[in-house]
Amino acid sequence: MRIAFEEMKADRLLAARTEHGNVAPVLLARGDVPGELRTDVPYQMANILLRVVPYLGSDRVAVVARKCDEKAIAEMSKRGLLDPGKVSLIGLACDARQVSECRCSDPCPSKVHIGECVKAAPADKEVEDLLAKTVPERLEFWTAQFRKCNKCFGCTSNCPVCFCDECLLEEKTFTPEKGIPPGFAFHLIRSIHLADKCVECGECERACPADIPLLALRKMVNRDVKELFGFVAGDGETTSPLLTTLDGEPMEDDHDVC
Amino acid sequence: MTGFRPTILAFCCNWCSYAGADLAGVNRLQMPTNVNVVRVMCSASVKPEYVIKALSQGIDGVLVLGCHIGDCHYMTGNHRTAKRIPLTAKVLETVGIDSRRVKLDWVSAAEGDKFQQVITDFVEVVTGLGPNPLREVRF
Repeated sequence: MRIAFEEMKADRLLAARTEHGNVAPVLLARGDVPGELRTDVPYQMANILLRVVPYLGSDRVAVVARKCDEKAIAEMSKRGLLDPGKVSLIGLACDARQVSECRCSDPCPSKVHIGECVKAAPADKEVEDLLAKTVPERLEFWTAQFRKCNKCFGCTSNCPVCFCDECLLEEKTFTPEKGIPPGFAFHLIRSIHLADKCVECGECERACPADIPLLALRKMVNRDVKELFGFVAGDGETTSPLLTTLDGEPMEDDHDVC
Repeated sequence: MTGFRPTILAFCCNWCSYAGADLAGVNRLQMPTNVNVVRVMCSASVKPEYVIKALSQGIDGVLVLGCHIGDCHYMTGNHRTAKRIPLTAKVLETVGIDSRRVKLDWVSAAEGDKFQQVITDFVEVVTGLGPNPLREVRF
């Protein structure tokens, strides 16, 4: 891990390490004691990177990034939230267990520094099963799932691509102030909002205390977006189809990055 | 399904469809009365959230009407709508609400008769689909 400083000439390193028996993100400067750095936990660093970048000034930061982190960082820099020149990525390849947990179709980072690439998981069984159901059956399944939601906002705060300044779901128009569950609309609004940027990292599903299969929902929505617009989130060049006109020209008034 | 009268929400853009609705009224065109018209400044201000919220609270169908492509008062407003609303319908279908409950159409200020046609057809479709299943679901 120290190689990050010598090889990449970065000023800071963002990684996860054991702190008081738990895993916590840590921002190291050159010469700090690294402690027990962890690469076996599937936590997203992109989200934390976005939070710390405003305080770093002109420092260059190296971050331990999986493929999904890499895609999330591409989505952020595409929207001008992050300067990609100031971020170097230390590619971390997921192991077979993590890939099968996320049912990941694209686990290999563009440049691997740690670990070895494993094969992508086969097509997601859960999504296939859900899409094989009839429309009323799906409704039954999802109402039962959404009823478990206790409005903890874990999915929102852990999401690497949830970066609007003002969260729509914190308005009482869409989420009632009192009472749980927050209703059928809550997770659907989130899905629609993330439709053009979700990188399928699975952080929402891991964060969810109620075990709602959110990753399956995200994958289904991403599949819809792909069918409609042929767009897959996660590369730095293509502008989201929701932010372009029908001819693919960018909109004139692109203040609305979310 | 005798006696079922769907409740329908129609978002009409101020510059074209609302004027079209006005023209239909002035011309005394007959159409079903279970449509509640909401006047919005542009069809692009109908965010997917509003459509989802309406459906999750038991509205039977949502109609989004805007200017024809190229005629938008705000130049590219309806391009946004043309991408958002089909996506919303598709996502709703994925979680179990029939995508025919959401409809996007273009009605200009001169098309009073088209407005009548769109409303009549949509009410017919939604009546055929029956009440919104989410009306029964209590959260």
